[in-house]
Amino acid sequence: MKFLISLAFKNLTRYKRRTLITAGAIAFGLMMYIFIDSMLAGAEIESVRNLKWFETASARILNDEYWENRFQKPLDLSISNPDRIIQTLENNGIRATKRIVFSGDLILNADDFGEDGNLAATITAIDPVRDFRVFGFGTTLIEGRFLEPGEDAVLLGSWFAEDIGAEVGYWITFVTRGNGGFYEAMDLEVVGILNCPNPNVNRALLMMPISTADEYLDMDGAVTEINVALPDNADVPMEVERIQEMLNGDNLTVMSWEAMAVDYLALAEAKRGGTSTILFLIFIIAAVGISNTMLMAIFERIRELGMMRSLGMSDTKIRLAFMIEAAGIGIIGSAMGIVLGILANLYLVNVGIDYGFLLRDMDIGYRLQAIFRGVWNPGTMIKAFFIGVIISTLVAWFPTKRALKMDIPACLRHQ
Amino acid sequence: MKNRLLIVMTILTVLAPSLLSALTGEEIVRKADDMQIFETSEATGEMIIKDRFGTKVSTFNSWSRGSEESLIEFTSRAERGQKVLRTEDELYLFYPDAEELIRMQGSMLRQSMLGSDVSYEDMTGGKDRVSQYDVELLGEENVKGHDCYVLMMTANVRTVPYPKEKVWIDKETFLGWKAEYYTKSGRLLKEIEILKVEDFDGRLVATETRISDKMKTDTETIMILHDLKIDIPIDDNMFSLEELSW
Repeated sequence: MKFLISLAFKNLTRYKRRTLITAGAIAFGLMMYIFIDSMLAGAEIESVRNLKWFETASARILNDEYWENRFQKPLDLSISNPDRIIQTLENNGIRATKRIVFSGDLILNADDFGEDGNLAATITAIDPVRDFRVFGFGTTLIEGRFLEPGEDAVLLGSWFAEDIGAEVGYWITFVTRGNGGFYEAMDLEVVGILNCPNPNVNRALLMMPISTADEYLDMDGAVTEINVALPDNADVPMEVERIQEMLNGDNLTVMSWEAMAVDYLALAEAKRGGTSTILFLIFIIAAVGISNTMLMAIFERIRELGMMRSLGMSDTKIRLAFMIEAAGIGIIGSAMGIVLGILANLYLVNVGIDYGFLLRDMDIGYRLQAIFRGVWNPGTMIKAFFIGVIISTLVAWFPTKRALKMDIPACLRHQ
Repeated sequence: MKNRLLIVMTILTVLAPSLLSALTGEEIVRKADDMQIFETSEATGEMIIKDRFGTKVSTFNSWSRGSEESLIEFTSRAERGQKVLRTEDELYLFYPDAEELIRMQGSMLRQSMLGSDVSYEDMTGGKDRVSQYDVELLGEENVKGHDCYVLMMTANVRTVPYPKEKVWIDKETFLGWKAEYYTKSGRLLKEIEILKVEDFDGRLVATETRISDKMKTDTETIMILHDLKIDIPIDDNMFSLEELSW
């Protein structure tokens, strides 16, 4: 065995260029694997964070019938005593905030916007004091100021503002339906613009103070949802159950962010499946490269192989020698791949890749506005290393088998 | 003292006939509502929709029974076969291409009908406005040569779409020549104006109406009814769901 290892090692050093080229193919495949895995894992982690910080919170309390009618944003399926519930939650150490979400027509007038127009939109009425304790909008203001309770004002997402041509100081009119179904119109001044990292939110965000909305919509203190923030390490399903117990008898339901973002999670799962296919293809390409190189290496040395066989070396040992040689290439290539992967990932983790040009007008499911950043995943690197070595070893089997099918005189005469 | 009593008596004597015959706001609105209800009706018509993109004409056939049931079937090329059925409590849409029947509810009711200034919801709701609104008689005005009562109706329930309506009702015929619809905070939303009427045995019926959405600029919808027939026999099944999908 020691002889076979030493033979394989000598062969590796004898054909340096071949060894390096083949190892380079493996290294490239592994680097791509580490890079893509890191980028997608990073995108998923950041998407979940942006979902919870800007879209769903950790959990949400809703009227029992609200969720199934959520697309119509019914104001009558509301929570009538939000302050008492929030107080109960805060007594139990849970941060919570109330919101009213309603839809209507946004009317833009020519005085501010250059031409008249209207579009369907949704307003989220927030508690300007409490909302930032649950959601992450506190750091997203890029222009103007935040809302103050009771004012006729609105905050816009930066992409939304850009799309409609709005600036701080402009006025918009929002025509909607109050609680019960009556028409109401409100004139709201744009007081600030937020750059929300969640593109789905940034593309359509309109926020106004909840006290103003309450008055216009005749809500009598009722709200459509109470959002809850839980610590990152919290057991969300257990916490949801605990909150549900606190609300017993109020005809309310608590939904975890996973339950609300079920569409996103299904999409992420599908993307993971697609990504595995891409990574598999990368490995196939690397494997074909290794196999081809090994085939050439073996055919180059058929006379040498014939000589070894004529001297009495068994086919098994010859096959083993070539496979050890291939494993050696695999080890060198995988080690190089890990180093290259780490270097590439350094850039990805610290700088990231800006896909803003693509994500601005396209929804790819991820809750990322522009920059894809990577994460460190040692498990993936270890796995990639072993897969690299194993595949390189296995693909040497076939060309060796083919060469060993030739008889010894044919091997010795081979040119 | 005697003189004062005499003056009061004289005024009462002079004004008594007019005071006795004066109608309250509620009575005027009730009479106007009753004017618009027919046992049955049938008409062909067209809807001319004007907005900043141009003018579009949709034609239709319509049938109605009482104040609660109506059926519109569009006959113009783009929407041929589409039907809107209003029953006592519901509104249904039928799309022939998809052979799909849709019950309109919630926000769907707020959508504009074929891009016009009329929402599907404008077609729903009972004609009995007196029970849903407090009526105040503001005075009298002349609209297009017709002496009208001017009334402000303020909703006493939240479930009506228009919390305030200002209406101009003909003093003689009780036809509402003009109406303005306001939001709760008093913003003018829509305006309806009758452009042409036809006389059916002493009852005036609007055959051309202009509706404009005041929240949008340069838009208006003109509804024209041709061949209007009143109180004619109509098949009992006309307003059923089964009939809708045929």
